Amino acid sequence: MIAGVAVLCVLSLAAPPSAAQAPAYRAPRTANGKPELSGIWQALNTADWDLEGQAAAAGPVPSLGAVFAKPPGLGVVEGGEIPYLPAMAAKKKENQANWVKLDPEVKCYLPGVPRATYLPYPFQIVQSQNTILISYEYAGAVRIINMGAPTKAPADSWMGWSNGHWEGETLVVDVTSQNEDTWFDRSGNFHSDALHVVERYTPRSADTLNYEATIEDPKIFSRPWKISMPLYRRVEKNVRLLEYKCPEFAEELLYGPLRKKSSN
Amino acid sequence: MIRRSLVSTTTLAAMIAVLLIAQAPAAGQVQSPATKAAPVKPTPAGGKSWTPPRTPDGKPDLQGVWTNNTVTPLERPKELAGKEFYTEAELRALAKQERERLAQVEDEGQPPANHSGVEGAPADDVHYDFSQFGLDRGQAKLAWNRRTSIIVGPQGTVPPLTPDARKRLAEIRAKAKGHEFDGPENLPLGARCLARPNVGPPLLPSAYNSNLQIVQGAGYVAIETEMIHDVRTIPTDGRPHIPESIHQWYGDSVGHWEDNTLVIDTTNFTELTPFKGAQNLHVIERLTLADEDTILYQFTVEDPGMWTKPWSGELPITKIDGQLYEYACHEANSPLANTLRGARVAEERAANKSAK
Repeated sequence: MIAGVAVLCVLSLAAPPSAAQAPAYRAPRTANGKPELSGIWQALNTADWDLEGQAAAAGPVPSLGAVFAKPPGLGVVEGGEIPYLPAMAAKKKENQANWVKLDPEVKCYLPGVPRATYLPYPFQIVQSQNTILISYEYAGAVRIINMGAPTKAPADSWMGWSNGHWEGETLVVDVTSQNEDTWFDRSGNFHSDALHVVERYTPRSADTLNYEATIEDPKIFSRPWKISMPLYRRVEKNVRLLEYKCPEFAEELLYGPLRKKSSN
Repeated sequence: MIRRSLVSTTTLAAMIAVLLIAQAPAAGQVQSPATKAAPVKPTPAGGKSWTPPRTPDGKPDLQGVWTNNTVTPLERPKELAGKEFYTEAELRALAKQERERLAQVEDEGQPPANHSGVEGAPADDVHYDFSQFGLDRGQAKLAWNRRTSIIVGPQGTVPPLTPDARKRLAEIRAKAKGHEFDGPENLPLGARCLARPNVGPPLLPSAYNSNLQIVQGAGYVAIETEMIHDVRTIPTDGRPHIPESIHQWYGDSVGHWEDNTLVIDTTNFTELTPFKGAQNLHVIERLTLADEDTILYQFTVEDPGMWTKPWSGELPITKIDGQLYEYACHEANSPLANTLRGARVAEERAANKSAK
């Protein structure tokens, strides 16, 4: 009997956790007993290039050669493909073909959710009991997650309206009222103003979180779909979130043609 | 649904958001200054000791949504030279004057004003009425206090520039003259949605939307200003400043707690903000809870190359209901494009006229 229990223990230790299984890791606690998510985090993948994954390819600016080519990457969409309604798949292709002209990231516009999470820049979670603030390096974007009784957005906005709650080890954030002007990635994946995102942040080790976002938009997709990826803590000594105020970098693109012609 | 991107100006977008803030008082009402008339002190008068609320980790709890909206100017007006505080009666008169001003503005609209950002440019006649959208400072909660200027001391003004700074700034101005609208980089930083002087540091009131939110997490205090969604995440865990070679619009802030006070030290500014031309700006801020609804905000600014001595200011920051709204500035910055377009049209017309 004792031997049998021991065998079972070993078997359960050896079995790899299935995707549906709750993670075994238990995060350090805040003073009010919730998992502590504070810190500077960053995705390490190519999701911002293409959620569905891509082979390496030349970039849009020949003079930049290998410096700004498209890196290869596996996708982060569960099941591999984003379930566009047939008419909307064409719009996505059109977006993709006109990426540099149409992508709001090129213009330094606020990124929306979930794109803010997996842009190639760090972000910082400042966690309090009733409020969780997420400050993103890209464009100085910011979200305030209300952890109290859910509130309703007074108007649509670029970063949307976030209400959060805890489910065991997981911070669940319900994001509504995003405008239709943000994209999901540099491949033209897009949404409408009916977008509803549910994010799940789950600690999976001292320095990693699992991030999931369920995306629902009946105007664009035939069913809800999900992305998932790990987020990594930036563990460098004295690491800080720095300024990346990119409107300046987009000025030539946006206003260059309106510049005074040089008289010499 | 309100789509900000369809709104003609960024300001209007912000105005719509503010319209929806339930806490805005009814038009014409100005909060009575009586309750906050005294210059705020870390401990209230009357000898009663007050213990500020604490966060779970034992630090003073500065969290919440606040405003530093005020009628107090940064520098003391000339006619009040030597007078650091209003009397209670004078403050009441000031509040009455403010109510009357607001009533007049609501009745007749605001007088034409120079909104170009270019000093000395003629006032325009564009209809641009803050009070119509609930943005007039008199329509929001005000941090009343008896100071005649935010800058403290008998002078109440920014000290004189050093001779070197005067020369340098004159050169910068001379170089800029006649090129105000050449390209985006010639326009004020606020018009470019890059930085606003109210964010500082020091935190100073804005013409409208002088709102900020403080969130405290493990080892950090975050201060977000609504204009223009700028956040300082300030470490309080003894982390050093970033390397000297890295300069940022809002500098680099590190903080620590001294009893009930959050002390923030900011260096690593660019030469462009928040006091243009200051090359080695150093700002020290002190945030102290004076009572549940008031933070006493004190700051000292120094740059030996810029001013002949350091200068300091203080003003109360008052708690407000509701939360911050997104001030997406750059995303609908048609005024910047229109300003440049207007300048090109004006040049073309002038060229055509002289060709005739």
